[in-house]
This record gives sequence, structure tokens and C-alpha cells, in this order.
Amino acid sequence: MESMLLGKRVLRAVGMCALLALAVCRVAYAQVEVTGTVTSASGSNLQGVTVRIRGTNTTTTTGADGKYSISAAADAVLVFNAIGYKGVGQALNGRTTVDVVLEPSVAVLPEVVVTGYMEEQRKNMTGAGTSVDAQSIQRQTGASALQALDGRAAGVTIDNSGSPGSRTTVRIRGISSFQNNDPLYVIDGTPVQDTYLNFLNPDDIASVEVLKDASAASIYGSRASNGVILIETKRGKPGRRQVTLDVTTGVASPVNGYDNIVITNSLDYFKVVKTAFRNAGEKPPANIYGDSANPSVPAFIWPNNGSSQTTDTLNTASYSYPNNLIMPGSAGTNWWKAVFGTGQVRNANLSVSGGGDDNSYLVSFNYLNQQGTAAYTLYQRGGVRINTKFTMSRVTVGENLQINREQSYGGLDDNGLGEDNIVGKNIFQQPVVPIFDIAGNFASGKAPGLSNLSNPLMIATVGQHDVNTNDRMFGNVFGTLDASHGFSLTTRFGFNLDQNNFHSFSGITPENAEPSFNDGINENYNLFTEWTWSNTLNYARSFAKHNLTVLLGQEATKNTNRFEAASCANLLTTDVSERYIQDALCDPTTKNVSSVGSIASLMSFFGKADYNYAERYFLNVTVRRDGSSRLGPSHRWGTFPAVGLGWRVSNESFYPQNFFFSSMMLRAGFGITGNQLIPPDRIVSQLGGDRGATFYDISGGSKTVITPGFQITAIGNPNLKWEENRSLNVGVDLEFNQGKGSFSADVYNRKSNNLLFAPALPATAGAAAPPIVNIGKMQNKGYDLSLAYKGVIAGSTFWSVSVNGVHYHNEITKINGTAYIFYPTNIIRDQNPVINMIGQPIGAFYGLVADGYYKDSLDAAPYWADGARPGRIKFKDLNGDGHITSADRAIIGSPHPTFTGGLDLGLRHGNWDLSATFFATLGNKIFNEEKYWYVFRYFDTNVRQDLLANSVVLNGPCNDVQGVCPGVVTNPGAKYPRLDANDAFSRQFSSYWVENGAYLRLRNIQIGYNLPTALIRWIPAARVYLQAENLFTITGYSGLDPSLPAPDVTGPAGDVRDQYLGIDQGVYPSNRTITIGISTSF
Amino acid sequence: MKTRKWNMLLIGTAIATLAVGVASACKDFLNTAPQGVLNEDALATPDGVEGLLIAAYRDLDCNNSSVGAWGCAASNWVWGSVPSGDAHKGSNLGDQAPIFEIETYLWSAGDVQDYLNQKWSQVYDGIARANATIRLLNKVIAAGGLDSGSVQAHGIRGEAIFLRAHYHFEAYRLWENIPYYTENNTDFKSSNQNVQVIDSIVTDLNTAEKLLAAGPRNGDAGRASAWTARAYKGRVYAYAAAKNVAYWDSAKATLDQVVSSGPYALETSFDHVWTAFTQYQNGPETILAYQASVRDGEPNGENSNFGERLNFPYAGSHFGCCGFHQPTFNLLDFFQVDANGLPLAETDPNWNNPAPTAVIPTSDTGNIWKGFNFIGGNPRPVDPRVDWTAGRDQVPYKDWGLHNRSWIRDASYSGPYSPKKNVQEDAANGENNVGWVPTQTNDVNIHIFRYADLLLLLAEADIATGNVDLARGFVNQIRARAGQTAQGCGINTSDPNQAAAVADELNAYPTCAGQTSMTVTLNQVGTIDSVTTPWAVYRIGTYATPWTDPVAALQAVKMERRLELAMEGQRFFDLRRWGDADTVVANYVAIEKNRIPYLAGASFGARNHLYPIPAIQIELSKVGSTDMLVQNPGW
Repeated sequence: MESMLLGKRVLRAVGMCALLALAVCRVAYAQVEVTGTVTSASGSNLQGVTVRIRGTNTTTTTGADGKYSISAAADAVLVFNAIGYKGVGQALNGRTTVDVVLEPSVAVLPEVVVTGYMEEQRKNMTGAGTSVDAQSIQRQTGASALQALDGRAAGVTIDNSGSPGSRTTVRIRGISSFQNNDPLYVIDGTPVQDTYLNFLNPDDIASVEVLKDASAASIYGSRASNGVILIETKRGKPGRRQVTLDVTTGVASPVNGYDNIVITNSLDYFKVVKTAFRNAGEKPPANIYGDSANPSVPAFIWPNNGSSQTTDTLNTASYSYPNNLIMPGSAGTNWWKAVFGTGQVRNANLSVSGGGDDNSYLVSFNYLNQQGTAAYTLYQRGGVRINTKFTMSRVTVGENLQINREQSYGGLDDNGLGEDNIVGKNIFQQPVVPIFDIAGNFASGKAPGLSNLSNPLMIATVGQHDVNTNDRMFGNVFGTLDASHGFSLTTRFGFNLDQNNFHSFSGITPENAEPSFNDGINENYNLFTEWTWSNTLNYARSFAKHNLTVLLGQEATKNTNRFEAASCANLLTTDVSERYIQDALCDPTTKNVSSVGSIASLMSFFGKADYNYAERYFLNVTVRRDGSSRLGPSHRWGTFPAVGLGWRVSNESFYPQNFFFSSMMLRAGFGITGNQLIPPDRIVSQLGGDRGATFYDISGGSKTVITPGFQITAIGNPNLKWEENRSLNVGVDLEFNQGKGSFSADVYNRKSNNLLFAPALPATAGAAAPPIVNIGKMQNKGYDLSLAYKGVIAGSTFWSVSVNGVHYHNEITKINGTAYIFYPTNIIRDQNPVINMIGQPIGAFYGLVADGYYKDSLDAAPYWADGARPGRIKFKDLNGDGHITSADRAIIGSPHPTFTGGLDLGLRHGNWDLSATFFATLGNKIFNEEKYWYVFRYFDTNVRQDLLANSVVLNGPCNDVQGVCPGVVTNPGAKYPRLDANDAFSRQFSSYWVENGAYLRLRNIQIGYNLPTALIRWIPAARVYLQAENLFTITGYSGLDPSLPAPDVTGPAGDVRDQYLGIDQGVYPSNRTITIGISTSF
Repeated sequence: MKTRKWNMLLIGTAIATLAVGVASACKDFLNTAPQGVLNEDALATPDGVEGLLIAAYRDLDCNNSSVGAWGCAASNWVWGSVPSGDAHKGSNLGDQAPIFEIETYLWSAGDVQDYLNQKWSQVYDGIARANATIRLLNKVIAAGGLDSGSVQAHGIRGEAIFLRAHYHFEAYRLWENIPYYTENNTDFKSSNQNVQVIDSIVTDLNTAEKLLAAGPRNGDAGRASAWTARAYKGRVYAYAAAKNVAYWDSAKATLDQVVSSGPYALETSFDHVWTAFTQYQNGPETILAYQASVRDGEPNGENSNFGERLNFPYAGSHFGCCGFHQPTFNLLDFFQVDANGLPLAETDPNWNNPAPTAVIPTSDTGNIWKGFNFIGGNPRPVDPRVDWTAGRDQVPYKDWGLHNRSWIRDASYSGPYSPKKNVQEDAANGENNVGWVPTQTNDVNIHIFRYADLLLLLAEADIATGNVDLARGFVNQIRARAGQTAQGCGINTSDPNQAAAVADELNAYPTCAGQTSMTVTLNQVGTIDSVTTPWAVYRIGTYATPWTDPVAALQAVKMERRLELAMEGQRFFDLRRWGDADTVVANYVAIEKNRIPYLAGASFGARNHLYPIPAIQIELSKVGSTDMLVQNPGW
């Protein structure tokens, strides 16, 4: 025992000495310039081979002539790597010329991309695809790996809110459907329809490939019409065991706060109220601030004494909760600061990988803990991934498996949207309302005039134990048989098991203007099971200059879902430990349970042939045939063909040898993809009965028995058929300046036909959910560009820049039947700001057209009966009928950008590296629905700080009576209409609500330092870095954050969020996150 | 080597077999059964048809409208009460702004559209459900599941046709120009032009009358009977008479038959009409009511008086929210009576107080409603119905103690009064226990058509057909009933939370000691009934002198209608029917605007006679570029 320990110590000491010696020696050796040529076994010069000095990040690549040059220490070891070749290491030992011959490798290396049941070389792709650097995925601190696509993949747009664990919405090349535009995700070969991908640990991801056009994606035909995102997780590589540990910690704060926008001083706020009442001919309320000529902060805002609160003296001893609350007045509550602050982010990832001749493995462990910037919101995720592969002669078997748990605390809506949560309208509590009453219980606007909103900190506090738990087992097992002669067979069984439990509590709110004395709990449980079994046969053969790959396959998928919900009210105690649905713990007569479920299946057959001649002429042909249980029996099978053509011009003999463009590939593809992602079971009419909708107390007078009733709840359509997307793509890939630069451009035209949607029927058809129909056509035209360049300064400073840009133009080109328009389903406070209309993009903003302000009573007179008054917003009478009505509405803007772009910068000098990513969007409009509150003061909310100073002023009085209104507008260019408590006219949805949504944001900046190998003896290699996300934003948008997540809206046809793009309904703002991290590998 | 080949062959065969197996199973694989829903076959039974019929009744009030259910409330308070001068929107300035626009006749405003659409959608869903019932009934009969001549088949068909007539009538009252849908009309883009709506409603009611039995089927109080259909037909004729006076003959004949042979009668006292006491619900006065239900297992209380849920006193009260549908000063003043207990408005042109000068107050002090209140040195005698209709300060509010100013959300916005008819009595145990503010969801049935209403329509018909003094009898019948009981001191002492209210009341009114009844009986002396309570002098008289002048008689009937049916969502439709809307609204606004400043801008124009058809329904009705629904004049 003793001796063993001693031995270890000796060994360690020796090791240390050796390391020290190395470090010392290193200083002693001078830098030398090493040159050489890399050739293939067949003798041709290899271009693009990476030459790296072992133990450093110093690299170079070989030119077209296979030559390289690098400055290295005389004792350095050079490592040569190239795709498709086995790596080679060469110790310099004083040499200055090192020529290397690389042997072909069968190992899969990154530049080979997985493009649908098979792998192919990126340079041979004829379809439009984009790869995302795995490093950039790990460069962000959010829970979702998809956030990394933001600004980094041409043709892909991303949005999400700052809420921890919020859903990330990904759109590829515009929007092709009225519902469900999520791309298909394929993770390690297993398709996922559930697009809430937060269960996936970003650190586990090896590569992300985006298939954007039909010729690339149609092998996934049935579900590929919105594009396909292929995600491959990291695998072990044969060789030594490698252990990596990445630890990140940081702090997040909101990029902007409402306290920068709304008033935080009570008396300043009252000035607005007073002016609004006076201008309306109403007496300013005196109950809170006393004499409006000389207002003061009240001693108490509740109890309401009916006149003035300012002189009130109360017996505060009479306070009792919840029946007799006493709330002091506040000189100015900063409600934003009361709820929002900083949140910590912590992430740790450990992975062990390696392999032998016949196996490879990777096991990784991850824990993420992300506090929200809003009080009591938290997301945490822990998981393990196991990827292994065993090769036994001609048979390979393996699995990719992950098991993890996600938990969200704080009960926020998905994306943190809407009026009723801590971010929405509740942040607009008036500044005079204190956070707490005199006894430390939550206060709110109970007194008249203080708005019927809840205390946002109360909502956050009460919801802190609301937990959403997601347990997921996801992955696949596979087996491959190399059947020789170029044939191989693969079978893969994928599974996606998710169980979700959510329980929440709602408390009493005696402090509210609309108090509630009933509390209650909800508990939901959801079980989702999906399996996908695919079998493929591959054949690859090269003869002479002909290269052929053929794939044949078959796939079946089935998913089942069951959702159970239960609730109970009036709890005996509110202890967290007693929030269970049991007769003894709540009022058993209020217990309520329900469950719903669905089953859907898909069956597919497919084939693909890739052929090229001498790597000059390329032809890809794909056919897929899919059957879906969601569609009508006679229409459920769809066929989705695609063809791709490519011409690598640079491989032609006539191509000039030293041309500026060293590589040139022209591509064209056409294909059809499908979409059937509608709720299941809509091919038949559904009947049902709901106690609140169809049951009725027909016998009269009873309190416990109610007679069941039935109605048609949804109208079915047995003729439902596939939505189809026809896409044409033409692209070019160029490399220039000896491969230092690359340029890629694609133009496309995507036409969707037989679009699936459930437009509203006339109300005369009844209230049943309308049938889903194949309703029309939509077109997306656009281009994606990317340009990258790598350079070297003075031989030791490496820089890179890459730019990508996206443009699409979305247009509804046909709506079937007789309708030329239809509305989405969601009404926002009695008004609807969007419409779908032929010739317009999906979700176009729709409303009256604002045209300044009515300048005097003469100007307003024609529309007086409609509510027009001097100083109110003037609307155009578009139909000329002499009235301003909803018939005067028109298209007033589009949420779609005309251009979005990303810019990635990289710089490396010695052990230091610096990178930055910018994102910009141009031409998109935002419908700022928050104007309801902070401009129009609907519901007595707080208002913008400059509202009083920048609103229209009349030079004389004007009350509501026509003919007694001498006032004339003195400042027609004012930002806001005249303050007028009775002005419901100006508040109508109009172009006044539409703002420019353009912005430029520094998404990410990171500075890293590679610790020299010998600096810390027990860490062979490590990189430490400091990074900032969303450091600054340049925008003209007046709201909180121009980066809006698509709201979470579901209609009869499923997810319809794309019809509500660009509507700001109160968004959990993006986070500015500063993190430090360390990555090590052993 | 050989083994390996065998292995490969085996594996290959296995995979191929599996693939073929899966492929051959694919037909069944794609036939997934819908989960958790019924299909029509499952309901193609007599019980299934009954269930569809129940759902058709359910639409008498909004359903499943957790947001904005007010536009389709069974009582029509938004459409029939608020714009008529009976009620203000209430609450405060910001809440439910579309009703402010409805009150000030700005019906073109964007956010009124949603309210209009709620009402349109509710009535046409009711029609769709009724027609679906009939279609399924026909299917079940055709399949031999039910004998077409059976009582059940007749009952189902008759009730469904009755409901269809009712829903169309609701639409007719708001929009007049509406499409009519029967079970055979499944083109949901029918025109609303030149539709003989009244004729169709009458036809349907005649059919229902023939099919239905005299009493409600199965003894279910909520069902329509032959008498319901007949009585309703009389109502429809009275509305038709507004366009063509010849209909008064039909109205009189029909209503006379109901009065002479029908099962209906007035409740013994007025407080039994709107009530949560089960024993008084569905009494003889009920012709058609929405049957509200509580504590029936629905987790949000949606089968209760959902459409009325906002119309309760505010935070200082037991109810807690939301102070909508507040009676106007004008309405309260209208309950003043003269020495004979007859409406002061009949004889005193200043019944509604002399108008103060129409000047916007410049001072910020003082409360603008002062001087218009009954309380405070001005105890003019009043019709006892006032304190069953409106909550006012210092007056007991049913059995909940004294109404006071803290029960009002913002008196400077829309006055100091609360609605009362729709409020449950504490002792009746009619409150809910789930959902948002369950103190405001109760099982007080919402009267859609009641016998007093019918009697007054008959009174109009008698006047129109030359039987002027017959009308007096019906009016007196109603006034005599109103003279039975007035609001009393009584507080529900079995409610432990009422101790403070009892103390408050005794403090204000020591004579209430020992007075436990919610009602007090009026002293009946000849043609005048009266009683004096600490808060009011109640007096009501009957018309003793025979009526001869049809104009004066009609005036008296109209007044009686307002007093009796106040806050029940009828007045605006009555004003329009009488052709009085322009003058009555103008007179009302001229004075009320001095108390409620926002009314200064209220201007009732010719186009306000009919509500605008919801714009979205016009757009959805397009066939080609033609609107099949044509907008009402002026909108």
C-alpha cells in the first residue's frame, strides 16, 4: 500500500518535471518556418488540409497546390487533418520541410453531412443547405440549442423570449402554411414533431444541418415543407479516452425595462389623469390625490373614504387580513424593479468519449440552472446522454439515448406573453399603488380609479411553487449490416417518450379592485409516446468516373397522447405540502377532472438516387410516398418527388487553373414536399358535451344535478388532402482566393398549395369548430446569401468574417371558394389587428388608416357621430360613406422583414481569440398592442413618461357637444393624440399602432484565452472565456424589446402563431447575459 | 465463411419480412380512431336527440365565454337596457369600454364589433343547435328509432322549433334584417334582404304550438310548452304591429287566449319574480327563462347567471365586483309617485328634476350627483318597486344590509346606484363556489319573457284595438301586485359574516331592531298601498278612473312597462317599437348629461334604430364579391 502510494507520488513528480522541462525547453527552442506539400496516396495535391501545431490552436490550411507554411517551434509536432483522410502527426525534430501523404479514411468527419437517412459530402450537395458551427451552439447560455441558429444560418429566422426555458420558434425561408410552420427536426436520425426542443442539451450537439429546399428535404417528404433541421449529437471517436468538462456561470438582466418607458412618480402620473379628465369635460377624480389643483400623495389609497384620501386618518389597528386591508399611498412605485432584476445562469457539462477498433462511446452529463430575470422564475435541466456503437464484422449496432428532466418554476405562459402574467399589463400598475400594505401583505389598486390589475410581484410570488416537470427519454437503437458489394442495410427504431406534470396554485386576491376570495389548484398530466421505425437499404458504387448512391427505405411512425387535468378549489390550507386534490384538502364539490387524447400515424416509402459523373455533373432524384392518418381515406397518400442538378464547373478541364474562383458549383433543384400537421381526427365530425357549453338545468331550480346535452363540437372534412409545397431553388457555391473566401447564394420560389386551415365559418353555421379545409395558395420568393473570408495578418493573427443575409417575400395568392380574406381567431381586447387576404402576406396588419389629428371642429364635423373630435386621431374614410367604421379598414403593415442579416467576426492571436455576432432585421413592422395601456390608458394603467409633454393640445376648450368646440390643434405633429378620458375613437386599431420593428443587436461577443498546456499541471488543455450576449441594441421601436417571440396561439387547425407575428403583447424581454466559462479536456 | 453468409441471408430475410409485414399492415395502421369524441351514430338515438335539444336550450345565455360574455347575456342588458336610459354602463371609465360606446351610440367603433358578434353568434348558434336537433330527430325516425307520431317526437320537434323561433326573434329585435334558417337550410350564406322574418317566426311558433302539449314535457320547468309558444307568438305580433298595426288584432286574440285559458299568473309579490329562492323560481309568472344553475360541478360556474356576472355592487360589498349596469338617475327619478301613488312623471313635467345649467363643472370639489339623490332631505314618495330594482345608499339591499357608497366603484363616473333584480338573496343559498368571483355567480333565473310583460303587451293591444279601459285592468293588476311588499329591514342573520351589517343597520335605523324579514307589507287602503320605512315612503296606487283616451292610456301603459320591466333588457326595444326612441333618448340625455358628463357627447341618430350587423359576419357572408348580408342603413 505504502509503496504503491509512493510510486504514484514518484510518478507524479516525474510527470511534473517532464512538463516543466517541456515548458522550459519550449522557451529555449526558436520558432522556425516550416513548409511542405500534402498529397493523397494517389499523388494529387490536397487542398484544404488543416495543419495544426499540437497543443496549440495555431493552424493553417494547404492551398490548391497542397502547399502550406507555418511558423512553429523547432520541437513542435504538426498534425495534418483533412476530411476523408486519416490524420497524421509529424514531429519536426528540427526539420523545416515536412511533406506528408494522407491516406483515405472511412471515418466520418464533419464536412460530410447527414442529409436524410444517409451521409453525403457537402460539396456534392445540389440542394440548399446550411451547416451551423457546433461551437456557436455552445456559445449561448439559453436552454435551447436552436437559439444558436439565430443570425448564423442563412435563410433561417429564430425568435424566443427571455423567459427561462422559453420555446424557440424556427422558421426557414418564410412561412408556407397558415398553421404549424415548424420545421421537422431529425435528431440522430429520429424525426421529432414536438418542436419544443429544450430537452436537447446544446453541449451534446456535434452538428446542425438545415435543409432548406425541397430537393434537399423531400426525402423527408411528408413533413418537410417547412424545411428540415438535422441534428447530430456528438459521438465517441476511436482512440484514447477523452474527457471534457465545460463549466459556465453568468448573470442575466433584461435588455430593457418598463421603468425606462412608463412613469414612476405618482404626482407626475396624476398630471396625465387630470389633463385627460379635464379635456374630456369630466371632473378629475379627487378621491386619491385630493384637490387636483394642488395634488398630494395620499396617506392611504384604501379604504376608500369616497372623497379625498389625502387627509385621511385611519385607525390602522383595525387592519385585518383579508377582510379589512389598509394600503398606504406611494410616492412612486417602480413596478418593474419590484419584479425584474438579475438572474444567474449556471451550466456544467461533463463528457467521456472514446473507442476502440470495433466500438465507440460517448457518455455525457449535463446540468443547467437558469434563473429568470423575473422574480421566482427558474428553469433547470439535468440529463445524461449515452451514444455507443459496436462493430462486429459486418454488423454495426448501437444506440443514441438521452434521459433528462426539465423543470420550470414560476408558472409563466409559454413565451411569457399576454396580459395576465407578470410581464403583461400587470406591469402597468399605477405608481401610487404600493407593493405591500401596512401589514406587509400584497397591495393593489383596490380604490376607484386605480385599475383592476393584479400586483405583479404577488403573481410571481404565488406562482413560485408552480412547477412544470418534463421527463423525456429520447433516442434510437440501430443496426447496420454491411452486405458487401456496396449494399448496406440499416434499421433504426426511434422513440420519444415524454411525460409532463404541471401543478399550479391560485391564491386569493383581496387587495384587488376585483377581489377574489377563492383559491384553488390545478394539476395536469400528459403522456406522449412516439415511435419511428425506419429501414433503409443503401447501395454505393463507383465505376470509372461514375459515382452512384441509391437509397431505398420504409418508415412508420405512430404517436399517442393523453392529457389529464384536474382542479379543486377552496383549499383548507395553502401550505405547499397540502396542495393535493383530495376531498379532505379542498372543497370536494369543486373537484373537476377531465382527459383528452389523440393518436396519429404515418407510413412512408422512399427512394433516392445520387449520381455524379467525375464529380462534375450531379443528379439527385428522390421520391417519397407518405400516408397519413390525419387525412381523408381517399386522399391520405401523397407522393413527393424531387430532382436536383449540379455542375461543378471548376472540375471541367476548360476551367482556368489559376482563376480567382478556385471552386465553382452551380445547383438547381425542384421538389414537392408535404404538410399534414393538423390536429388528428378532423376527417370526421366530432360531437361532445361540455358541462359549461351544452349541459342545461332543464328541470329548473336544482343545484347539483344538470341534464347532459350534446352538440357538434367540430365539423369534419373527409376530403382533407395533403398540403403541398413546390419549391424551386437555384444556387451557386464559390470559393475564391485559394479557398480563403467562400460565397454561396440561393434564390428560391416556394409555392404552397392546398393549404390546410380552418377559416371561420359564418356564425349562422353555429359555433362548432369549423372544418379544416384545403384552402388556398401561398408563395414565398427570396434569396439567401452567405459570404465568408478567412485571413492572416503577419502570419500569426488569424481573422475571419462571415455575413449572411436573407430576404423572403410572402404572399397569399389564392383563397379557395368565394372568400378573399379570412381572419385568424384571436381577438385582442375586442379588436383584431390581423387579416389574411389575397395579395398580402400572412398575418398582415389590418386596421383604420391614421392620418394625423382632427385639427378643429370643422375637420371633425363629418365624423362627429362616429366619435371624431379635434385632437383625436384622424382616420381616412376609405369607402367614402361619410362614416368611420370597420369598413374603412385596410392593410396597414406587414410583420415580415424585407431583410435579415447576421455578421460573424472572429479574430485569433496566439492564445487569444475574440468573436462577435451581430443580427439585424429590416423592414418589419410591429403592431404595438401595448399602446392600449401606455398610450391610451385603457383600464387605468400607467402611461409613457412623455405622454403629457408630447400629446396634442388645443388652444381652446372642446367638450363633446358639437358646435361648442372652439379649440384648434396647436401642435399637429405631436406624438400622441389629445389626452381625453372618453376617447374610445382614437383607440381603434389603426396604422397609429404600427411601428418600424427594425433593429441591430450585438447578439454575442466572446473573448477567450487558451491556457498553455503546461500552465496548470493537472489540466492538459483548457480555454477560459468571457462572453456577453445582447450587449446592445439599436432600434427606433418605442416598446420594450423589438425582438418579439411569436405568440403562442392555437386555433382549430393547430398552432397558428404565424398569423400573429410582430404583435407586441407584453413580452418577457431578452436577456443581457454576461458569462464566464472554462472548457477543459483531459 | 459459410455461416456468415447464412447469417447475412437470415438477417436480410428478417428485415425484408418485417418491411413487407409493416407495409401490408399499413392500411389498418393509418385508420386511427378519434379519441374521446362522439360521432353522430353514437347519438342517433332518442336519448341522443334529447341531448342535442338540451344543448339548444343552453344557448339561451352565452356559453363557454369566459371572456366578454356580456354581449350575449340572456337579459340583453347591454343592448336593451344600457342605451335606453334605464342604465349606465357602470363600473369605471376604463373597464369594458365597448359598452361605453354602446351607451353613447358610437356603434361604429371598432371594439363594439366584438360585442355585436357575440350576440349574433349566440343566437345563430342556438338556431344551428335547434336545427341539428331536428335533423337528427328525422334521422332517428327514419331509422325506426322513434315513432314520428309519438309524444316524444312531437315534443322534441316542437321545442326545437320554438327555440329556433325565439333565437330568430332575438336577432330580429337587434338587427331586423336577418336571414332565417330552418333545418333544411344549410347554406350558411343566406341573404338578409326581403326576408319575411315575422312570418317565419309565426309559422314556426304555430307549428310548435300544435306539436307541444299544454304542460312542459317531463314536468321540466325549463321546457317550452304549447302555452309558451302561444304566449311568445302574442309577443311577436306586438312587435310586428310596430310595422303594421293590423297585427294588433292577432296580438289581442292570441294574448287574450293566453290570459283567459293559459296557466300563467302574476307572482303574489314582486320580490318573488327575480329571486334565488328555489321555491319561487319557475312560478306561474315565468313564460320563458334561462335556468341558471350553480354548484353543478362545472369548474368555472359557467351555467350560472354568467351574462349578468359583472352586474353586482363593487369591492365594499359582499359581491366584490364589478359595478356594471348601474341604474340611471333618470330611472330612479321615474319611480317617484304623486299623492295617488301614480307615476309622478304622468303629471309633473319636472319629475326628472329641473335641469341644472349645462356647464362643465370647473371646480374639482364636490360630488356632482348631489341634489339628484332621493336620500338627504328629499324623501319623496316612491313606487316600492324602486327598491327591488336599484340599490341605493342607506337602503337595505335585499337581505345583505345597507347599500353604501363603498359598494360603488366610481360614483362620479356613472352614478351611485347598483343593479338589484339579478342579485341573489343571502338566505337563498344560491351562490356558486367556483370560478372567478363566485359571489357574483348565482342561480337567479334570467327572465326572457314573463307574464307581467305579456299583460302589458295585451294592454297595448287592447288600446290599439279600441278596448281602452280593458288595458286599465291589466295595468292595475300589475300595480296591485307591486303594492304587496316593499324592501324591509331584514338581514340574513344566519350568515356569520353579516354581523357587521346588522350593527350598521341598527346604528342607522334603530327601529329595525327585531325586524328580520327582508320584506315589509304595504298597508292596503282602497286604491293606494303605502308604508313608511326609515329610508323611504313607499306608495303605489291603481288607476281608479276608467280610461277613455287612448293616447293617455298608452302613455300610462308605457310608463308601467318601464317601471315593471326596468333593468330587464326590454326598454330599448320597446322605445324602438313605439317609435319613441328619438325623443325619449334626447330628453333623457339632455338632463342626464349634467350628472354623467360623458353623456354630453351622446347623440342618437336615425341609424341607431337598428344595430349594425357585425362587419365580420358580412365579410364571411360573401359569395363572390357580393355581400349576402347587407349592412343596416347608416352603418
